[in-house]
Amino acid sequence: MLSNFTKIEGRSFSYWRIIILLGVLILMGAGAFIAVEVQGHGITGMNNKIAWGVPHVFAISLLVMASGALNLGSMSTVFAVKQFKQFGRFSAFLAIALLVGGLAVLMLDLGRPDRLLLTVMHMNFRSMFTLNVFLYSGFIVLCVLYLWSMFEYQQYTKVVGSAAFMWRVILTTGTGSIFGVLHAREVFHSALTAPTFVALSLSSGTAISIILLVTTFKHTKRELEDKVVFGLRNALIFFTLLVAYLLVVEKFTKMYSPAFYDVQSWILTGPYSWLYIFGVWGATILVPLGILFHPAKGNSIKGVYWAAFSAVIGTFAMVAHILLAGQAYPLNMFPGYEVSSVFLDGVSATYTPALVEFILGFGGIAITGIIYMLGIKFFRMLPDKAVAPEGYELPWNP
Amino acid sequence: MRSLQSHPVKFTVLLALVWAFVLVLPTMVVASGHGAAAQQSKVAYSGGPPQLEKAKGDACIRESGWMRRNHMDFLKHRRAETVREGLRIRSESLVRCAECHQSHEKFCDQCHNYVGVAPDCFECHSYPK
Amino acid sequence: MTMDRRTVLGLGGVATAGVVLAPGMTLIASPQPDKTEASGDQRWAMLIDVNKCDSDCTACTKACRQENNVPLFGDPNRDIHWIRKLEIRDKEHKRPSVSLPVLCNHCEHPPCAHVCPTQATFKRKDGIVLVDKHRCIGCRYCMLACPYKARSLVYHKTTIPEDGNPKVPIRAKGVVEKCNFCVHLVDEGEKPACVQACSKEGKNAMIFGDLNDPDSEISVKVRTVKTQTIRADLGLKPHVFYEGL
Repeated sequence: MLSNFTKIEGRSFSYWRIIILLGVLILMGAGAFIAVEVQGHGITGMNNKIAWGVPHVFAISLLVMASGALNLGSMSTVFAVKQFKQFGRFSAFLAIALLVGGLAVLMLDLGRPDRLLLTVMHMNFRSMFTLNVFLYSGFIVLCVLYLWSMFEYQQYTKVVGSAAFMWRVILTTGTGSIFGVLHAREVFHSALTAPTFVALSLSSGTAISIILLVTTFKHTKRELEDKVVFGLRNALIFFTLLVAYLLVVEKFTKMYSPAFYDVQSWILTGPYSWLYIFGVWGATILVPLGILFHPAKGNSIKGVYWAAFSAVIGTFAMVAHILLAGQAYPLNMFPGYEVSSVFLDGVSATYTPALVEFILGFGGIAITGIIYMLGIKFFRMLPDKAVAPEGYELPWNP
Repeated sequence: MRSLQSHPVKFTVLLALVWAFVLVLPTMVVASGHGAAAQQSKVAYSGGPPQLEKAKGDACIRESGWMRRNHMDFLKHRRAETVREGLRIRSESLVRCAECHQSHEKFCDQCHNYVGVAPDCFECHSYPK
Repeated sequence: MTMDRRTVLGLGGVATAGVVLAPGMTLIASPQPDKTEASGDQRWAMLIDVNKCDSDCTACTKACRQENNVPLFGDPNRDIHWIRKLEIRDKEHKRPSVSLPVLCNHCEHPPCAHVCPTQATFKRKDGIVLVDKHRCIGCRYCMLACPYKARSLVYHKTTIPEDGNPKVPIRAKGVVEKCNFCVHLVDEGEKPACVQACSKEGKNAMIFGDLNDPDSEISVKVRTVKTQTIRADLGLKPHVFYEGL
């Protein structure tokens, strides 16, 4: 099965409408960035307890999805799942686009972005951030090589694709470890935080791929065989179950120990419980699984699409929960004691995100979007028609 | 069908553009002088060579020509050593500059405006106006 | 050679004056040599006697604000606190509440310095953990890593106050800052402003000194009195000790 890759035409009114919309979002994002830099972080909703706000939620979610976007490529290159080979280019390219969008938000939210170069001049190799600088840039290099090999030198695809696969696992471990290694933060300090991020990247990457493939093929009037999407659906089910499994193990371990009773009951009943229940469990796990296991909806493209949509929203919610609830939970400086002070010790932090933070975050998404839109117009990223190989049968369906 | 060869090139160009965008934004902010607190008193320069106020003391800690060329390196390297190594040379501390050069508007800013540089030292460090 | 009576008396007088003056002179800080540098021979630390600390006394926090030009923005979520007073009480309310100041603990293994991507936060040779504000990029990772909430981001532009202390620089917005043990005073042989204020206006609950000097007051106290550090379980080896906690 050899797919014929072509560019999309990209001359229609709706194509340009999307490009202009994304362009406006990017300009607004740039405006938000300049506003924050000139006025200071005072115009955001962040404070000394919630020091990482909405921009970090956007950035880290995009970074998690970036490594996940490589799923389709890895599945075909590393695990020889033939029907995904035709999406290899799409997958590696989307990974780059998402990573660039995420990194842009991360860097533009710095207090002093003008000093960014200091991170490479005075490296501190004990910092997860410094390690991530290498992981992110290495990932982009590997993805470019992977993409290049798929375009030109197919004989290297296997080597580069395998390297990229290993790299993305380490990459997401690095992203998760930004949080996992912080001992003082009881909500997310856990060895399971990094693996949970890896699992989340698998599910969210598959979900974002489903959304983009279904939408792109529909609007460019290309054929996308249902069986291919259902193959992705099965992957999404498995990955979502993996996320659920890790969440349950982490909760079980912590709830077993009386030392964690306080923080666990705070997560379930505190000010961020809605995010945990509806975001982490609802949007990430229960809604997608409910739709995908439904005999009728799980076997319709529309159902799979909405399940994937919910999984992507859930990814943002999960990162938001780890970040915001993780910071809002009061630091336990004196275990067994009640604490109070003028600096709001011992109470949950409050945080009302400002509009400017969302504009910055959507600017990052728009950067990703515009890279993707231009990429499929100028490069032969997508196959003419995506069909399953001869005699391919889905292993199972709901 | 077009040659496959052209793709990697185009692709690299696109990537370069994206990264240029990401890197240029912060640079723009610096250039615009808004980089957090980089706004010094930007008095528009009005003709003629800079007129420096006469220093009060007898002699500077180094010869004047040397100071003119190197004071910035001196301050910057000393700065890192002072902050990070705790190096304190009391006879050569920044605070003592003000004993002789008693106004940064009449001394420091004269040259800085003339050559168009805006160091942000005195956004945080106090120095007599 | 013989000495006449007057000479002998005179010498004795000088010697006596020396003995009397010497302790006094250490209080005023002996004149510093022109050039000094932080060295590993010292390890600065603080000891706070919680029993002496009054809940309505804020001498230390006030002195800190005055000495280091630490601003208040009027927003409790964003105000910068280098040192703050805490009230703690056991959850069963069986014992009276305890008041104590909390500041940067100047850990032996500072998590803030571990996570800093530019080494802007670092531990000086004499153990003081500092933020190099010229190098901080404002990523705020250290604020997540610190277990003591000792760090604040500067959210708003600040100006040099009229009655401020010209010896201490203020801050640019967008960088993170925290208590620095009044490093500019320590380098001149003086004690941090909070410790000075506590002995003058407060109840003399704070001791500051060099742990590497076995004869210093703090070394003797740490050896002989039962002290605790906050969150010793994290293994950071904080260097702010509490007595009677």
